[in-house]
Amino acid sequence: MTLSRNRWLGAVALIALIVLSACSSSANTTAPDSTPGSINVSGSSTVEPISTGVAERYKLANSGFNYKITGPGTGDGFKVFCTGETDISDASRKIKDEEAATCAAAGIEYTELKIAIDGMTVMTSPENSAVTCLSFPDLYALTGPESTGFDNWTDASALAASLGSNTVFPNADLSITGPGEESGTYDSYVELVITPIASKMDPPQESFSRPDYVASGNDNAIITGVAGSPTSLGWVGFAFAQENQDKIKELALAKEPNGTCIVPTEATISDGTYPLSRSLYIYVNNAKAAENPAVTDYVDYYLAEGTISTVLETVPYVNLAADQLAETRATWEAAKP
Amino acid sequence: MNAPSAVLGSRDRSVRRDGIDIRGLLFAGFLLLALLFSLAILTVLVGSQVVQGFPVFAERGIDFLTSDLASNPANAGVAQGIVGTALLVVVVAVLAFPVGIMTALYLEEYAGDTALARFININVRNLAGVPSVVYGILGLAVFVTLLAVLGDGDGKTILSGGLTLAVLVLPLVIITSAEAIRAVPDALREAGFGLGGSRWQVIRQLILPAAAPGILTGTVLALSRAIGETAVLILVGAVLGSFSTNGSLGALLTGPYTALPAIVFDWARKPGPAFQADTSAAIIVLLAITILANAMAVVLRNRYERKW
Repeated sequence: MTLSRNRWLGAVALIALIVLSACSSSANTTAPDSTPGSINVSGSSTVEPISTGVAERYKLANSGFNYKITGPGTGDGFKVFCTGETDISDASRKIKDEEAATCAAAGIEYTELKIAIDGMTVMTSPENSAVTCLSFPDLYALTGPESTGFDNWTDASALAASLGSNTVFPNADLSITGPGEESGTYDSYVELVITPIASKMDPPQESFSRPDYVASGNDNAIITGVAGSPTSLGWVGFAFAQENQDKIKELALAKEPNGTCIVPTEATISDGTYPLSRSLYIYVNNAKAAENPAVTDYVDYYLAEGTISTVLETVPYVNLAADQLAETRATWEAAKP
Repeated sequence: MNAPSAVLGSRDRSVRRDGIDIRGLLFAGFLLLALLFSLAILTVLVGSQVVQGFPVFAERGIDFLTSDLASNPANAGVAQGIVGTALLVVVVAVLAFPVGIMTALYLEEYAGDTALARFININVRNLAGVPSVVYGILGLAVFVTLLAVLGDGDGKTILSGGLTLAVLVLPLVIITSAEAIRAVPDALREAGFGLGGSRWQVIRQLILPAAAPGILTGTVLALSRAIGETAVLILVGAVLGSFSTNGSLGALLTGPYTALPAIVFDWARKPGPAFQADTSAAIIVLLAITILANAMAVVLRNRYERKW
């Protein structure tokens, strides 16, 4: 059995050699966690294209600058932001209290910067002359969790009336097309329209839309779906609806039952009067900004005159009003190292 | 002799009524139908991707292959994915192949039919069937953490991705190599020993060369599996988004990385028809690379295959 023991010894020596060489080779390529000249951004997939667009433009003039930008979602972004893994967190909503508490517990201080606005358009077919304006309770009655199975607009009348709406629905087929559950546009719609009413219902309803609508991840397919039926209903990102005004009819919206109807335009979205819109933010880790000039320079460039507006030419969101952008800049000037 | 032939004769008559083998024809027809069905699905899948993705190549040509990830679908390309996939393949080949082939050699030539060997064999076979996500979690818990401690950036690098993929395909490499080694006729072994060869000489000069085509085929197929693997890479931190590459090999090994299947996954989530077309184009690139690897396996096998 000496032969066998030798073989074992040889095998062990070989394994040790492999492990050692692997260790030493990876030790040689050591890089610090936060490389100077490079930034690590994560968070909302809605904001990701803006942050990426800004980084791509900044990189053109600063070849030494490097970035890594991912978009797993606002909540996931804050999780890694509050462990100090990322320098900047993209968010399509404000940080939640429990997320802020996690950050505070980890000793992470941050600056919240509002950078743009995302609006959604509720739309129907141009042939549908009976509907021009809907209130949030109407939308809840038509698309909320209790509307499952409604295939005629009038099916929703009783529910809308019970929520205080006087809107008269047409006696016509109701076919709904909207973004799928994986989409940020779906989340915002549910968050803005359905959740506030669902939580006040007795008994409280779950914050979901009805499941029986045609869901698509392709904005063009949503437009086609809404245009394809004369009494359709659907919603899509504001910019997309603007580009397709010949195919669909944009509906005005009111937040309260029988409230003032607001038509979605860049002006009404950017001044905040249009109810179906949300602000987009970036959260900057103050300590990272202090120790890594690339973070500060990147945010400086982000908020510089013309950067966001140029990026938004290819990314479908709405610019902040001038005074709001000025406010964001003032916040950053005060916070930056 | 009488009874069995009578049974056979009656069976004969029942299937060959009027001289036509109806059941046989039906069976062959069903088999053909099954083949056509799977072919049709494949054609529809590949065809729809080609139809959607081809315009991207027609419009941008080689630019799609040489561009980095970008927020604008018109500029976005898969260069970083191709480099990432290639590096992952290198890591997998360097790690999984030697270990896998050596394990197979040990199990087939040295271990004998002991309870331990049987236990290991069963486990290897089970490991080959473990869902890849599980390997992803293992990679995240072990390799990413380990490499981060060793100072390889945040640990979410090509090395941890490659290590995890290597562990994922290791059972496949072991099983296919073991089959290939087992297929070498015993006569060859006995002849080798009969000529006074030591075990090592027999393995090196007779068994390994004879098993090489089978081992090569298995390993290349394992590589194709690694090329197409998505879930694992997402878990161990392939970038779903975009990042800048600063060129040097060191940055490639310690910095952020992505791979073709991760790009496909990321782009498929993005809204808008332009990114859908880019997704299809990326799928075509991935398919082309996988087919190339498989074709290589076939060529290698045909070239070195021996008949016994």
